[in-house]
Amino acid sequence: MVSLLRNQKVRNALLQVLYVGSIAAMVLAGIVIARRNLADQGITSGFDFLFKSTGWDVNFSLLPATANDPYWWYFLIGIINTLFLGSVGLILATIVGTIVGLARTSSNDLARLLGRTYVDIFRNIPLILQVFFWYAIITHLPTPRSAHEAWGFLLTSRGLYIPFPNVGSAAFAAATLAVIAAIVLPAWLGRTSRLAQPIGQRRTIQFAAAAAALACAAIILAIGRMPDTPLLDFPALQGLNLRGGLRIPPEFATLAIAIAIYGGSYIAEIVRGGFKAVGTGQVEAALSLGLSPWRVFTLVRLPLALRAMLPILANQYVWLMKATTMGIAVGFTDFFMIVALTINHSGQTLEAIGILMAGFLAINLSLAAVFNRINKAIALKGNQLRG
Amino acid sequence: MISTNSTGEPALRIENLDKYYGTFHALRGINLSVKRGEKIVVCGPSGSGKSTMIRCINRLEQHNGGRIEVLGTELNDDVGNIDEIRREVGMVFQHFNLFPHMTVLENCMISPMIVRKQPRAQAEATARLYLEKVRIPEQAMKYPSQLSGGQQQRVAIARALCMQPQIMLFDEPTSALDPEMVSEVLDVMVTLASEGMTMICVTHEMGFARRVADRMIFMDGGDIVEEASPDEFFTSSRNERTRQFLSQVLGH
Ligand SMILES: Nc1ncnc2c1ncn2[C@@H]1O[C@H](COP(=O)(O)OP(=O)(O)O)[C@@H](O)[C@H]1O
Ligand SMILES: [Mg+2]
Repeated sequence: MVSLLRNQKVRNALLQVLYVGSIAAMVLAGIVIARRNLADQGITSGFDFLFKSTGWDVNFSLLPATANDPYWWYFLIGIINTLFLGSVGLILATIVGTIVGLARTSSNDLARLLGRTYVDIFRNIPLILQVFFWYAIITHLPTPRSAHEAWGFLLTSRGLYIPFPNVGSAAFAAATLAVIAAIVLPAWLGRTSRLAQPIGQRRTIQFAAAAAALACAAIILAIGRMPDTPLLDFPALQGLNLRGGLRIPPEFATLAIAIAIYGGSYIAEIVRGGFKAVGTGQVEAALSLGLSPWRVFTLVRLPLALRAMLPILANQYVWLMKATTMGIAVGFTDFFMIVALTINHSGQTLEAIGILMAGFLAINLSLAAVFNRINKAIALKGNQLRG
Repeated sequence: MISTNSTGEPALRIENLDKYYGTFHALRGINLSVKRGEKIVVCGPSGSGKSTMIRCINRLEQHNGGRIEVLGTELNDDVGNIDEIRREVGMVFQHFNLFPHMTVLENCMISPMIVRKQPRAQAEATARLYLEKVRIPEQAMKYPSQLSGGQQQRVAIARALCMQPQIMLFDEPTSALDPEMVSEVLDVMVTLASEGMTMICVTHEMGFARRVADRMIFMDGGDIVEEASPDEFFTSSRNERTRQFLSQVLGH
């Protein structure tokens, strides 16, 4: 018996059992106590409320929503809003971060200084302050009647108005998916080893896939187009109001900008670190082979930097996804705000928070899983980055 | 276009070459002329400017004074000239510097396909030919980090040769290798020399130098202090610093 306890494997197993057991006991105790307390206060626990209608409205939704809709539908709306805001924010933050990060690694003194200033400013101001700042600026834009106009875009205190194709929403969603496919498909087809097919042939296949997807998008738009309307619907002033085009509400614009600018400053540092991790030796070897600086960038520096960046970038994305919960600060009905409103109106605090946590866990675990796949697929064989 | 058959002009002509790192005078008015097919071995103490000199030849370092002419083309700010010279001058580095995200074959094919616009099949045939020549044809589909140091350096030589350069530069190609791998790399270099390649090698492998060098260059303090045939250099150097250096590397 004593000798069994001295066995390392046995010890580890016992510790595991103790650890899991005590956590399970705590959770169980918590549930029992909470149920007792709720019952004492006359609040019924359980998930029946999900099927009751909410009785309140959301100010932003990609799906049809009325106050008669049940809670579960509102949760779905919240998750989709969070995913939508998160995707737009992450894409913009990545663009901003790449530009600033490259500026920080450039050989131009001014570009480096500007990049550095940007990072210093926006990384060191709390996100919530930046959200309030952009919200104040956007809500103080001119009224629709005296709006700025540029290329059919209108900046007003009621939101940003952009030209929009005159198509039904289903057709628009389908066309968007087709455009995404046009971007993802070539990358997916290119994931095989460079030598599986001749380079030229692979390029042709990638190009054909992208072209086919874009053609699909065009056909969908043409079919879904509303009869007797111009292809693009431009926003224009009619009376006191703006008609036509697509309105991006100030709340959404605020959050997308704030996440882009704030997230961009973190991503810029990741981009810079990635490029710094690329050995000068590989760059010099490429130059000595006669490759042009642009080719050295696309064939050597970028691919190696990406491999160094991706794991950290994935963490940053997960983190920025959680930053969408700032929606509650300006009244954008993201998942978190829907949950908060649900708690206010239904009193189902524990259930709603449980759903909130499960939802974010699912979103972020899927994001992490996708990045893990990409990471594995492009990881360097062995650990030689500097050679 | 660089002419390949003019026999008169030297492969490389360096006149009064000056190089500064900030205020540090790294190369002090160097003169060197290398004929086509000639093999030069450069040696000298650490920090004497050997790397700086050969890195100036393909513009990995920019020189501050004097003149460098490679295969009749002057190396100056003209990017066309720089590209032309880099196409014709191969370089092998101390730390191999292979592209870790490409297979051995891709390492060898990428530049011929992009810079020389070779069709893929031709680039692959050339790559396999040179991998055969450096005696690692069976490693073509592996990644660099899956190879030993000696094998990686031989891939690096093959990669440079795939561009079919007229001049090859070597910067201490065996200094980063475990002792038992040095000879496999030197053997490849000896073969290359016997085939008439114009070579400038920075190395402290004196056995190799004796076998292949047409001329020995000894550098110290940013200057060429002695230039002699290997026979003269190893047996009857009159230069004090050379003799001291030789006794250190030869170990007696
Ligand atoms: N990038 C650089 N910046 C500043 N000093 C350098 C740089 N590269 C080399 N040096 C200096 O120039 C001198 C010659 O260096 P190098 O050519 O590398 O010598 P070797 O190859 O003969 O050992 C050394 O004193 C070294 O410290
Ligand atoms: Mg050196």
